Amino acid sequence: MNNSGLPPLLWMVGWRYLVRHPWQTVLMILGISLGVAVVVSINVANASAARAFELSTASLTGSATHEIVGGPQGLNDKLYAQLVDQGVVSQAAPVISQYITSPQLGSQPLQLLGIDPFADAPFRSYLGVNGALSVSQLIAFLTRPGAVFISTDLAQRYHLSTGDTIQVAVNGNTENAIIAGLLQPSDSLSQHTLDGVILADISTAQELTNHVGKLDRIDLTLPKDASAQIKTIEAHLPAGVSLVPIQSQESPVEQMTAAFHLNLTALSLLALLVGLFLIYNTMTFSIVQRRSLFGTLRCLGVTRREIFWLVSAEALVVGSLGALLGIGLGIILAQSTVRMVTQTINDLFFTTTVRDVGIPISSLVEGGVLGVVATLATALPPAREAASVPPQAALTRSVLESKAHRNVTRTALGGLAVIGAGTGVLLFPTNNLIVGFAGTFAVVTGFALLASFVMVALMLAAQPVTGGLFGTLGRMAPRNLTASLSRTSVAVAALMVAVAVTIGVNLMVGSFRYTVIAWLNESLQGDIYISVPGFSATTATTAIDPAELQAIEHWPGVARADLLNEVMINSPQGPIQVDSTNNPDVGAERLFLAREQSPQATWQALQAGSVLVSEPLANRLGIPRRGGSIELVTPQGARSFPVVGIFYDYSSSQGMVVMSLDEYRQIWNDNRITAISLRLAPGAQVDQVTRSLQDGMAKLGFSQNLLIRPNRVLRQDVLAIFDRTFAITGALNVLTTIIAFIGVLSSLLLLQLEKQHEVGILRAIGMTVRELWGLTMLETGLMGLAAGLLSMPTGYALSLILIYIINRRSFNWTLQMAIQPGSFAQALLIAVIAALLAGIYPAYKLGKMAAADAIRFE
Amino acid sequence: MIKRLPYIFSLVLLVAAGWGVTRLFQPVGSAPAQAKLASVIPENPQGYERATGPRNFQFPQDYGPHPNFQTEWWYYTGNLNTASGRHFGYQLTFFRRALLPVQSVAKRSSDWATNQVYLAHFALTDVADGRFQSFEKLERGAAGLAGAQGTPSFKVWLEDWSVEQTGPTAYRLQASQNGLSIDFELTDLTGPVLQGDHGYSQKGPEPGNASYYFSQPRLATQGTIQVNNQNFSVTGLSWMDHEFSTSALSQGEVGWDWFGLQLSDGSELMVYDIRRSDGSIDPYSSGTWILPDASTHSLKQTDFTLQVEGTWHSPHSGATYPAKWKVSVPSLGISLKVTPYLADQENNLSFVYWEGAVQIVGTVGGVPVTGSGYVELTGYAGSIAGEF
Repeated sequence: MNNSGLPPLLWMVGWRYLVRHPWQTVLMILGISLGVAVVVSINVANASAARAFELSTASLTGSATHEIVGGPQGLNDKLYAQLVDQGVVSQAAPVISQYITSPQLGSQPLQLLGIDPFADAPFRSYLGVNGALSVSQLIAFLTRPGAVFISTDLAQRYHLSTGDTIQVAVNGNTENAIIAGLLQPSDSLSQHTLDGVILADISTAQELTNHVGKLDRIDLTLPKDASAQIKTIEAHLPAGVSLVPIQSQESPVEQMTAAFHLNLTALSLLALLVGLFLIYNTMTFSIVQRRSLFGTLRCLGVTRREIFWLVSAEALVVGSLGALLGIGLGIILAQSTVRMVTQTINDLFFTTTVRDVGIPISSLVEGGVLGVVATLATALPPAREAASVPPQAALTRSVLESKAHRNVTRTALGGLAVIGAGTGVLLFPTNNLIVGFAGTFAVVTGFALLASFVMVALMLAAQPVTGGLFGTLGRMAPRNLTASLSRTSVAVAALMVAVAVTIGVNLMVGSFRYTVIAWLNESLQGDIYISVPGFSATTATTAIDPAELQAIEHWPGVARADLLNEVMINSPQGPIQVDSTNNPDVGAERLFLAREQSPQATWQALQAGSVLVSEPLANRLGIPRRGGSIELVTPQGARSFPVVGIFYDYSSSQGMVVMSLDEYRQIWNDNRITAISLRLAPGAQVDQVTRSLQDGMAKLGFSQNLLIRPNRVLRQDVLAIFDRTFAITGALNVLTTIIAFIGVLSSLLLLQLEKQHEVGILRAIGMTVRELWGLTMLETGLMGLAAGLLSMPTGYALSLILIYIINRRSFNWTLQMAIQPGSFAQALLIAVIAALLAGIYPAYKLGKMAAADAIRFE
Repeated sequence: MIKRLPYIFSLVLLVAAGWGVTRLFQPVGSAPAQAKLASVIPENPQGYERATGPRNFQFPQDYGPHPNFQTEWWYYTGNLNTASGRHFGYQLTFFRRALLPVQSVAKRSSDWATNQVYLAHFALTDVADGRFQSFEKLERGAAGLAGAQGTPSFKVWLEDWSVEQTGPTAYRLQASQNGLSIDFELTDLTGPVLQGDHGYSQKGPEPGNASYYFSQPRLATQGTIQVNNQNFSVTGLSWMDHEFSTSALSQGEVGWDWFGLQLSDGSELMVYDIRRSDGSIDPYSSGTWILPDASTHSLKQTDFTLQVEGTWHSPHSGATYPAKWKVSVPSLGISLKVTPYLADQENNLSFVYWEGAVQIVGTVGGVPVTGSGYVELTGYAGSIAGEF
């Protein structure tokens, strides 16, 4: 600022103003800080989630460039020896990776990582530490059944030490493991990684997870240009086993979560946007308040440039303070957002074993810088305004207002143009989410620009009504608001945007929930559902013990048992979830987007080798409505399956394939079953059979723990997960509304305080305190009404965009729009109540003021 | 020396470098290193079988592994020439080490579970290029990754390094690493030759401080050596040593100098000196003279001398090795000048030792002979080895 050459005295002008108007300053800082806090907390949550993923999964792939992966049952472990003994691969490491829990380790998901210490060093050197383990511990690691290593941190946290026995639950079975040694991580990366890992020798991992004879993958390090080597390796792989670069393995997960993270970021930016309205409003107001001061300064020879820098410097100070406070608040908020985001990611996408990754400093800095820059950018128009007025005009207060009035129509037209442009951007056929959000912001901003027009129109319409109801005061209120349009319209716009976001998000979530319920009704036709408890809320990929399965199928009261096997199968487009079922009614028990045949014929087509795909998969892979096909890697090599129907599904945004169980078993030679749906004989009671199954499985001595749920409970569980997923959306919504509330509060406060002398005169000529309250409340109520009314079309437009464009692009699924009139009424109510609440303090303060004090300025 | 003195391997093992737990088959090395390691690694020969007296060898079973003994190795070295006289030396060695005595091993269902660990060294001396390269691999003796068998036919392997029997006296030896590869047919010309007292080789005064030791000292060798995509057809002679034992440490021994010499008259001479920390030669040092008809003469320490006539300072480890010898067995009229084909044949692996091809000129009973062989020198870079 020094190069601007501001005289020190001028600094005092700015300083004195901020100090003399503490309320204004505090509210401004609060507005900025809340906006920044929301951005920071979401930023931290996203970064933590990304980091947790990186540490949970990605970093455990170590320095591998490629990996060999098999079909749904993993790889035959003999393959590794064949490749190594024939010299086909030189740097390779076998890996078993399974999620487990242990009651002694907090019952949280942990990754049981089975490695070969003889081969693993080049891949995950950070897992070990030079010389920390004694040779006898290493010997135990290799030779002792159930021997595992965990990190010293993990051991300390749960008060465990070498030699202790822990129970590990794997795929519903419980096994004993023994801690053969503690790993002392050499750096913080390995520390975080090891925090969620139980390390075992391949042999031990095979035994603990009941995977004897199997590997989950073989890691390879290949040189950059290894196409010849890749060909050689591929020639040695049996059909159904593929060599894939690590990158393509990771990307589906990144894609999956990217949309989720981007949606949250957009929502947090919306909160900041509302905060910026507030800043703009307050800055504008402070300029208006000081127009005479600036006029005087200009008359005294202060240059435009100096006035501009003065206002900008004020904004910088306020913005910086707000950003700092916002970072602090953001860190506090992040405690909750991180938990909510991690929970959702565990529910829907992948299991993270890493907790508490620490607050990424970059997220804080990002949020802070964004806050300061945004404040400065928002303060720019008022600063220019302050600098641009000629000295004599600055002394007349009415210039700005008349300018605002002249601009009403122009602003409204501009708003319509921005809405049009935003709509154009949204209709542009692309799957790019950033473009989608840019269009959304444009539409919302366009609606906000209509605020002043709506205000003028509403006040014109309201005047006769309020006049009829409240007499003089009733006519005064609308006129007052119109007279100070330059400030009231911004406050209304801020409140309007916040309320519109509430409406839009509510409509979207409501429609989503409605759609999910409709989908559940169609798809959950069984009476009782059985699966192995896992870590993902939406998938069941652990096999049910065949003996247990047989017992269940013949349980008294069970009329029919539909079996399901859910597996991940490799395809040229990456791993795809494949559900195979023997339910002949599958053609009728789904909501179809497109179906080539009757339900009966659909089942016959499935039996003959055709498949069904879910809408997200069809959209993701570009499978046409009719006549499409999908390629999957089978043990006999890649094979194309005709698609005979596309069904709506909301369990996986990555999508899935449904095929007949017989067909699947024939191709993949995999007889496992991961879920059972029971239909009961007429007269059998669902709750009774459920209880007898739950008790019976334990009595029969089956060790595998099964999740046996009646239809009703499963439905509740699914909806509970759904609500959990949107908890963060709701929380953000509330925060946005709070920011808008502060915006309205501050602008009303300023508006009313500014009218001190006017109120003084009114009081002097006989206005009662009661009447003063009435006037204030009427004014704020009208503002709330204006915001509420404008928020309705805005919110509706926003919900349309969220449902038909953002969700479609983010998650590939179509939601059914379900209008809930309640949302609109609720939004109007929120707007009016917020506005009325914001009027209380100014009314109280003005009412307390003695008329003489109020007019002392005169 | 890794080779002839089993107790070296009583200090174990393992696991791969960088996993943070590098403790390969540790050599004894210097006394401080010994003490350091002894404190971490409980020396526990209890439960293992021990070499306590002459043994009734059964072939072909005894070509295979003896898992009841703690340590075992199969040691192949050889000198080969191309038709144009380009000389190569090679070493391919497999070490086996038991982690637990057989009766202490828990029953496991995974094929990967094991109590046996294998280590292998592969080295190639290219005299014309003046180049020596050596490599090391470590594996579990399970899941088909490494192992040994005596019947139905002999085989020892670690990943893609292997020696496999292909006929009653025929073997195929293969190894490749970093662009070097060898692929040889070996034909056993003598059958197994038992060293020491009918294969019982005593290394110290303590009972059980001994090994079972036999050799195939004359393996006619032909095959291919590939160096940087260049193929060389070679012929020559290889030597195989197979030794197994369970032994405790002997005090005061720092290393050994071992010689396996193949002479042009069809005889072989194997001698070794065990060096003590006081500079003396251990009285249990010994040797064998193998005549062309495979009959043997045992040699006591007092029967031969290994006189050092030159030294070489290793730029890699800083150790100074003897580099030229006069080997004499006065009672048999043997006097041989032994010179390394290449000075630098130092194995800088998990433990540092010199193992190299040597050239021989001399006389046996006054008749001039020439020949090639292998020499192994350990304990010279002990202080460094102890740091691994």
